[in-house]
Amino acid sequence: MEIWRLPISASQRGKLISAGYTSLSSLSSISSSDLARELNVSESEAMNILKVASHSRGSETSNASCSIVEVLDTFQWWAGAQSAWDMLHDEESLMHITTSSADLDNILGGGIHCKEVTEIGGVPGIGKTQLGIQIAVNVQIPNDFGGLGGNSIYIDTEGSFMVERAFQIAEACIEDMSEYNRFLRKDFQECKIKMQPQDILENIFYFRICSYTEQIALINYLDKFLSEHKDVKVIVVDSVTFHFRQDFDDMALRTRVLSGMALKLMNLAKRFSLAVVLLNQVTTKHTEASFQLALALGDSWSHTCTNRIVLYWNGNERYAYIDKSPSLRSA
Amino acid sequence: MARLANLETEYPVLDSTVRNFCASHGIFSAAFAEQNDSSERLKEGIAQVLSIIDDMHQPWLNGMELLEDAKRNKHVFPTGIQGIDLLLGDGIRVGQLTELVGPSSSGKTQVCLRTASNVARNHMVLYLDTGNSFSPQCIAYFLGKTISPSSAQAKNQFLQKVMSNISCHSVFDIFAMFDVLHQLESYLRCQDGRGCCQMRLLIVDSISSLISPVLGSSSTLGRALMTSAGYLLKKLAHQHNLAVLIINHTVGGEGGSSKPALGDSWKCIPHSRLFLSCDRGSNTYNVSILRHPSMASVKAARFVI
Repeated sequence: MEIWRLPISASQRGKLISAGYTSLSSLSSISSSDLARELNVSESEAMNILKVASHSRGSETSNASCSIVEVLDTFQWWAGAQSAWDMLHDEESLMHITTSSADLDNILGGGIHCKEVTEIGGVPGIGKTQLGIQIAVNVQIPNDFGGLGGNSIYIDTEGSFMVERAFQIAEACIEDMSEYNRFLRKDFQECKIKMQPQDILENIFYFRICSYTEQIALINYLDKFLSEHKDVKVIVVDSVTFHFRQDFDDMALRTRVLSGMALKLMNLAKRFSLAVVLLNQVTTKHTEASFQLALALGDSWSHTCTNRIVLYWNGNERYAYIDKSPSLRSA
Repeated sequence: MARLANLETEYPVLDSTVRNFCASHGIFSAAFAEQNDSSERLKEGIAQVLSIIDDMHQPWLNGMELLEDAKRNKHVFPTGIQGIDLLLGDGIRVGQLTELVGPSSSGKTQVCLRTASNVARNHMVLYLDTGNSFSPQCIAYFLGKTISPSSAQAKNQFLQKVMSNISCHSVFDIFAMFDVLHQLESYLRCQDGRGCCQMRLLIVDSISSLISPVLGSSSTLGRALMTSAGYLLKKLAHQHNLAVLIINHTVGGEGGSSKPALGDSWKCIPHSRLFLSCDRGSNTYNVSILRHPSMASVKAARFVI
């Protein structure tokens, strides 16, 4: 493995190469003080470089001598690799977050999936923010009623989160649950609803961000936040594209930042088993002399989410269709 | 390339005189050694260094050996989708890098899942997923369609056997992908030569989401990472007899048409490129060849998944 594939800074890399170290094996037998002397860097920097190098090499040397039995085992042993059979069983036990709309749940196959990034887009005023709030509330339905019983994170970029509305939705949710309770478990008097609307609101962690740098910083911070708050089961971002649309001069930077952000969100979804819901705006695209609505930020962004739902008006009614999904049909 | 000082423990002829001589000519590592007609001792030292270099690169092969290797090892795997197989002349080839390009939701992941389920019947498959879009239900569905109806238990056993051959790994940045590929390389080096079920297909979905965060900034690191990723994949494909399938997406080109992402430097790296698109209304997909070693370009076909 070559030196310049290591995630170290460019100046350190330059020093390593000019001193003659171009591959990892050349770093294997040198001590950190010698390295510090040769490269003219501090001892702690040299130790850091050696640590990164040995971490990357560790996996290579461990496979140097293997028997047939070990070979078959090490295949699955790679950190994070899973066979498709195991994943099939895991997926069957994953719960979905209901959206409180039976039709939408139907086309989604039960609700929003965990471990995936779902993007919901639509024209202004169609109810994306309401849907986002509803999902943030629904995730807190306890397990007895078929929900996930988790907390939620709501990241607001536009300032359209209304607490009073969230309170109303929480009350309605609890009423729903008690009706459900009465309907199905007529003889189980002990199953009383212990939740109050205030509890539901307490479990929504709200962040308000005002610029794209704050957005990037927040996504980076979420890693630490989620390790402390393990109950979080959904992250709703409303709306993810707001700060990137106007006044962004450097398009290449925008693409880089957005794809990096998308990868980090994917990583969070997979590692902590939560669902990520991104709300997006639409723009008009001029193709073949007709105008067509398409989600903002273009093709490179639309490639980065796992599922996509588009909401639109048809006459006086709202319709939704699935634009992209790995396991569901278009509907 | 190891530093000469470190090599002294293995090859004692490279003692300090040789090293001082090399140092005076600006040679610090084996990569810079050159022929010279000084004393015998130095000649020995230099010859030793050159033989170390020789060990490090690939052996020379002549045409007959290449042909034999192609016939014996480089098979063609059908993807299981008739339209694509007809278009490619039987399927994707081992030892080559095949790229699927297309706008969003044009069926690229579905084609990969279908190919994986087809190849997994007899060989192992590694799926590197960047967007959590690997769907075991799809694989189970494709496999279920192909076997004849039998008892539920036999079907379950079949599914288990085939799906255990597919290994899915999530990677979320390009350095993680390099780690995985290097682990894969050392694993394959152990495995080559054993008769048991071997890995024959590597899928990367999608390479563009790994490379976009680093490409295009003022440093050239992004492009270096991109080309070295391409070369590493090609090296794995050729040396260890893998078929490699990668997914790329499109960006807007001039005049509103879409063109493959990652730019011109990436264009020449995959051996064959297929462009997919989808007719929304009719649920059929179009595929056309952008580049292929043995088929004419611009051929097109339609298929339904």
